[in-house]
Amino acid sequence: MSIFNVGRVCVKLAGRDAGKKCVVVEQIDARFVMVDGGTRRKKVSTKHLEPLAQTVEIKEKASHDDVKKVFDKLGLKVWETKAKKATERPKKQKAKKEKPVKKVAKKAEEKAAKKEVKTSKPEEKEVSQEEVKTEEAIEA
Amino acid sequence: MPSGKHKSGRYRKIFVKTPGAKNVVHYRESKPNKAICGNCRKPLLGVPRDRPAVFGKLAKTERRPERPYGGVLCSACTRNLHKQKAREGQ
Repeated sequence: MSIFNVGRVCVKLAGRDAGKKCVVVEQIDARFVMVDGGTRRKKVSTKHLEPLAQTVEIKEKASHDDVKKVFDKLGLKVWETKAKKATERPKKQKAKKEKPVKKVAKKAEEKAAKKEVKTSKPEEKEVSQEEVKTEEAIEA
Repeated sequence: MPSGKHKSGRYRKIFVKTPGAKNVVHYRESKPNKAICGNCRKPLLGVPRDRPAVFGKLAKTERRPERPYGGVLCSACTRNLHKQKAREGQ
């Protein structure tokens, strides 16, 4: 019997979970064990584990929930993966864009207006002159 | 005369012999020292040797190993440290 029996609390030495406590859940062979608890549930070489004196009563191949219950009683941290929320797809919104009034067009309009004024003015003058002429004729 | 930027220590000199048998100085950017373990002073693996400007462009996971004390202690020293902590805690 090796030290790494089911229920043995260990500290992980190598990798991302180094320094975290875990429990042996299953003995796979002389070299590898299944580990769960404060680390991710993983098949691990015993070289990467430091056994502690502490043991925990756990069934062989206990599920993550069972391990979690035991760890919560002892006050140890448990590895939890956050369930990803399905992100809502952003609804397609047609952006209402006000068509920018072209300055060039405005200028053209203004120019046209000015031209009209210019052209209209002399006509009036002519009319007035004609009227004057007619008035003079009447007086004569 | 070398220009100011070539005197700041950022560039290292390389002497190149031209076909006309002249010795010409070329400048190349010098790299910083290798990252070393804070405990045993061995060079760290998985830490690139680049200028800070290049370093900043890398992802955080590409700058150092993704383990506690990654980029500070070597793997052997971290293992020893965790072993010690585990044994002291009992």
